[in-house]
Amino acid sequence: MQKSYRVKSKKKFSITPYLFIAPHIILFIIFFVIPMFYGIYASFTKWNLFSDPEFIGLDNYKTILFNKESTFYRQFWNGLKNTITFVIICVPFQIIIPLFIALLLDKKPKGRNIFQGILYMPTLFSITSVTLTWLFIFNRSLGLFNNLFGTDINWYGEQPYAWMTIVITTLWWGIGGNLIIYVAALSGIDKSVLEAANLDGAKGFKRFWYITVPTIKFPLTYTIIVSVIAQFNIYGQPLIITGGGPNESTFVLLMYIRNLAFGTGNSIAGMASSMATCLGLIIGIISVGQLVLIRRRSE
Amino acid sequence: MKLKKLMALLLATIMCLSLMACGSSQKSNENTETGSMNNEGEAEEQPQVKPGKKGSIEFWTVFTGADGSSMQAIVDAYNATNPDYTVNHRAIEANDLYLKMPLAIQSGEDVPDVAINHIERIPLFQENGFLEDYNNFIGDSPIKAENYNPKAWQMTEINGGHYGIPLDVHSYALYVNMDLYEKYGNGALDDGILTWDEIKASGEACKADGIVTIGMAWHRVKFLAAYAQLGGTLSSDGVTPDFDNDKALKVLNLWTELNDLGYIQKDGDAPWEMFLGGQVLYCPEGIWMWNNVKEAGLNAKIYDYPVFDPAVKGNWTSSHQFVLPKNEKRDAEKTKAVLEFIDFIGNNSLEWAKAGQVPAHNAIKDVAEFKDMPQAFLADENEELKIYNYKYYGYAVESLDKVLTEILFGRMTAEDGLKQAVQETKDRIEMGQ
Repeated sequence: MQKSYRVKSKKKFSITPYLFIAPHIILFIIFFVIPMFYGIYASFTKWNLFSDPEFIGLDNYKTILFNKESTFYRQFWNGLKNTITFVIICVPFQIIIPLFIALLLDKKPKGRNIFQGILYMPTLFSITSVTLTWLFIFNRSLGLFNNLFGTDINWYGEQPYAWMTIVITTLWWGIGGNLIIYVAALSGIDKSVLEAANLDGAKGFKRFWYITVPTIKFPLTYTIIVSVIAQFNIYGQPLIITGGGPNESTFVLLMYIRNLAFGTGNSIAGMASSMATCLGLIIGIISVGQLVLIRRRSE
Repeated sequence: MKLKKLMALLLATIMCLSLMACGSSQKSNENTETGSMNNEGEAEEQPQVKPGKKGSIEFWTVFTGADGSSMQAIVDAYNATNPDYTVNHRAIEANDLYLKMPLAIQSGEDVPDVAINHIERIPLFQENGFLEDYNNFIGDSPIKAENYNPKAWQMTEINGGHYGIPLDVHSYALYVNMDLYEKYGNGALDDGILTWDEIKASGEACKADGIVTIGMAWHRVKFLAAYAQLGGTLSSDGVTPDFDNDKALKVLNLWTELNDLGYIQKDGDAPWEMFLGGQVLYCPEGIWMWNNVKEAGLNAKIYDYPVFDPAVKGNWTSSHQFVLPKNEKRDAEKTKAVLEFIDFIGNNSLEWAKAGQVPAHNAIKDVAEFKDMPQAFLADENEELKIYNYKYYGYAVESLDKVLTEILFGRMTAEDGLKQAVQETKDRIEMGQ
């Protein structure tokens, strides 16, 4: 006689994994999600952080996006332009330089670990110490650079030097992070594939572009997206190094936002929130766009 | 499997508990991300003073600079007298304090018992209801109006209430390198006051030898001093900013002229450091920087800020004031102790004077050592001390900060700069209501 078993395909519900991720999720909700929605709500209000917020609908957005006479319009678009400029001139170097160094380190020279450690060290320093150090290096009369090379460059007061100081500082500080990821990714490539490529006559750049890069596609995608997001959030370097000058040409959007929300006098939190929300939207769209583009390319 | 579940539950509980436990003590700074770096959080650690018989007084100041150690010395001297309430001095960077204090008052958490505020901040804080009216408390305390510099005292009379007890007046004056002055000064200071024309007269000789005739730093207060000398105000009616006028233009055109002639430091240079290094003849700076000069061993003296007209002096001046934040946890007894502490400082201000300040309490004028100090001449000044108390001073100076350097070095015209600054002030006033 054949017994027919009706197997219940429903898996037994286990609470264990949820308990493990609970602390992070709770923290995430409390310190990120709720403030984020509160910030978006604030962008629809007129609020000085001390009295109650006053709902004004889309007025803040209308001001920063369309009202040409308003200071906030000028600040928003100037800040956005400067931020995007910085992302464009910084991120490519932030990907290419660590990748190049990782390739060199992958050849396993002597003292490889020491070099890796030295190159990673700057990321451990706090932003204030990094920017202050480079501030002194680029000081016009007393700084290391001008005195060493006999130049008289006005580093903070003239473009393009002002951007150069910020980019150089940022690269010096941030290369280590991407470097470690690339070193790990490259060491995970199967050596036999590279040897096979060699035998087939694909050498140097061809091998790099057609074999290495696709293999490390995931870490590369991750670092590109994260670097772009991070540089959109730039704040400390222009604040301390150039103070936003010359002529507010390095005044990035986050600086304007902070100035409005936490500057002297009463806070203009609503306007600042609307700027921040716009920035967040832009970052979100660009990140998703990047992801889609890279995924599509790899198919 | 049961053990795993138990461990997971335990871990989750511990993390939630520890979150609640350390919720009030963590303070983290701005979130800056580049590369793959995560948050930089720095908890502030301040050494706590041992509480007295009845407790301790939380005293917040803005003295993170060269004068910080002087204030700490006075506080230590007070604590050494074994008062019922000892004083815990916490120095916080000015911009941070002006953010933290209102937030603390608003939330009722960690409110300081007494704080130092710059005088320009008081009108707005008073309007927002953050400060106690001293008239309710000083009746039977040792604090008396006639003990203090009249100008510094009256500046905090608002709507019949009194909101600040002055600690000092501090001006932005002129430091003169006396060694260089002998060589290039042409006796300009024989009448005790330096005019802009006299500065220009020394220009060519200085330039030829690679000396900077006059260093221009902290443009904001330099502008405000010269502007006030000409009779200018940030706002004629106390509400609407209107400082884009001829008087302002006169000041700024002078600046661009000095830059064009090459009598100021090169764009990007730090004039105060160069002055300390002996490369600058005249350098306007705050009297509170005197400690720097002493340490550098420079032969320098302090004079009034340069003038257009020798008969009309004017030094941008601010005043550090003791304010009483609204704090439910400070009872009448503690408030009394706070006032006694303030009175103690008033009578023991010599240490504060040594830091280059001009104490506002009249007791200092009798101290012989003070009379010999370079800044002593300011204690007798009254109308020459240009103190701004425009309600929206904060907005105005922040918007000026953005344009003054550009105007000085010719990257922006004075008209455009002033127009932008006034517009920004107006917009912020409108939105900040």
